[in-house]
Amino acid sequence: MTPEGRTDVHERLRRLLFLVPFVSRNQGRSVDEVAKELGIKRDELLEELDLLAFVGRPPFQPDDFVDIYVEDDKVYVDLDQRLSAPPRLTAAAGVALAAAAALLKPGHSDALKSAIEKLEQVLPAHAVKRFREMGKRLDLTLEGPTGLATLSQAIVEHRVVTFDYLTSATAHAERRKVEPIELFSHRGQWYLSGFDVARQSERLFRLDRMGAPDVTGETFAPRATSGRTSLPGVSQSVQKVTVRFEAATAPYIRERFGVEARGLPEGRIEVDVPGDNVRWLTGWVLSFGGAATVTSPDWAIRSVADAAKASLE
Amino acid sequence: MERTERLLDLVALLLDSKHPISWPELREAFKADYGTGSLESCERKFERDKAELLELGIPLTFIKGDDEHEEGYVVDRDAYYLPEVSLSAEELAVLYAAGSAALGSGGFPGSQDLAHALRKIGFFTDGPPPAPKVRLELGGVAETKNLPERLDALWSAITTRKSVTLDYFSPHSKQESHRVVDAYGLALRRGLWSLVGYCHLRKAIRTFHVHRMHRVTVNASKPRSPDYEVPASFSLEEYVATWPWQHRFHEPIDVEVLLTGELAPLAGTLFPSTPTSDERGARVTLRATDLDGLLTYVLSLGAQAKVLGPDRAKARHRELALAVFTAHGGVTS
Repeated sequence: MTPEGRTDVHERLRRLLFLVPFVSRNQGRSVDEVAKELGIKRDELLEELDLLAFVGRPPFQPDDFVDIYVEDDKVYVDLDQRLSAPPRLTAAAGVALAAAAALLKPGHSDALKSAIEKLEQVLPAHAVKRFREMGKRLDLTLEGPTGLATLSQAIVEHRVVTFDYLTSATAHAERRKVEPIELFSHRGQWYLSGFDVARQSERLFRLDRMGAPDVTGETFAPRATSGRTSLPGVSQSVQKVTVRFEAATAPYIRERFGVEARGLPEGRIEVDVPGDNVRWLTGWVLSFGGAATVTSPDWAIRSVADAAKASLE
Repeated sequence: MERTERLLDLVALLLDSKHPISWPELREAFKADYGTGSLESCERKFERDKAELLELGIPLTFIKGDDEHEEGYVVDRDAYYLPEVSLSAEELAVLYAAGSAALGSGGFPGSQDLAHALRKIGFFTDGPPPAPKVRLELGGVAETKNLPERLDALWSAITTRKSVTLDYFSPHSKQESHRVVDAYGLALRRGLWSLVGYCHLRKAIRTFHVHRMHRVTVNASKPRSPDYEVPASFSLEEYVATWPWQHRFHEPIDVEVLLTGELAPLAGTLFPSTPTSDERGARVTLRATDLDGLLTYVLSLGAQAKVLGPDRAKARHRELALAVFTAHGGVTS
């Protein structure tokens, strides 16, 4: 059985029913390219090609077999035996794709929304009802903040965006003009990595600190970026802050920090977190309502005490 | 003949045929598989093959004969072949971005289904698919190694309506309990996956965090026969909290929150409620079934988030803030 619980035959069949038409449409692709397209290893692809050499339709005259072969490490099909296009999407495949698309919070009139609507066209008629029914069983629609689909499209189209942004350093929201590069979600929090035009540098923006983004008509040529965006609060810490948790909260903190959580007497635990963002730190500690206590350094203890005092006033 | 080979042969035969193929013809064409042994066992084998093809989206239809038409099996070619989808470049790009982000997250149920779907929507396009610019990293938890396998097993159970057995760890009791669950649906909230289903131990619908599950097994007996029906009235979102105050611990209480200064324009983003504005800022009213969940969230926003009422909520908010203040050496006057 596959990890999905389906039979190996099922997975293999749908791979092979895609393989023949794919090669038929893309004659002469290298063995490695075809294997990559199918998400399998080179050896596995060669095994599949061996099997296909025996596939055909009765009465199995020479011209009745699929003629797929490798020559000079390139794959060709001469006879596809009417396997000229893959089968339509199954209901489960359609649901998986629609659910993935929902991650980006499609709006009412954007490209993602219209793409999802068109998905039903590539399902067999008998699968549409099941597609709609199964769609209710996989729910990601509330996961992302609004603005994801707008920003995704701006990234794809290389369009400059503007938005109001609230930083940890300033008291008021500032208007930002940004060339969007990448969207990513880390621990349930969405971020936009982009080139801030006014500051002439690559910056990271939290989507929940952003007003509704406006996509301008201005396009940009993608810049050479610094590579994979650094995650917030992971690698750029200037100083570690130690936080202690009470026994009742400890199991939940262990789930998040794993082996990084250190055990203390009476069931308490402590962890180190980055201290480079005071606003994040105080907000995080306050969110435990007294079950978390900063134990060092002194400036961090004072910061949390000040933030708690401000909430009392 | 190997089963995969036989099924492919069957598809090739039916796609090519201009007329329905009768059962005797099929028995003759696949003599070693449908033509030998008892008729009953041959028919059962053919029924299993038909079911396998149906799961792949390939329906074999039986056409009843009459004076003018032969009877037998056909595959409707229009229903079989993937049509060219009229997706614009932008539509394809964002769909690819979303699908690739979900696949790349390493924790998406039905990942094989999703991979196949992505290949198929890109089948008619020339050149490589657009490079994904969206990245999804799941998990507000440290242990995610077995998450993909568990999610795929759960998705398989949901799509086939088969029960799952699992051991579930409760951080509250710090113990594991053995559960049999009719899997109704999966939901992702704040980077964490939850399964909702009927728990045979608790005899009620329950929500389970997938990262707290161990030894997840899908009932393998009678794979094509569902173990249960999902109630028609079931709604996944009713059972999965999106915000920390929506866990169903207590009677609901309506709490009014005021956001001032720089938080005021973000009220609609920070809370799932339509804000009303006045001279002080933006006000939102939230219905909480976990009051502490709401109040600690408000606390985390800082001094520009205030609880306006009711008194019980105001008092508890102050109590929690005071607890943090004194824990950090603050002295009240």
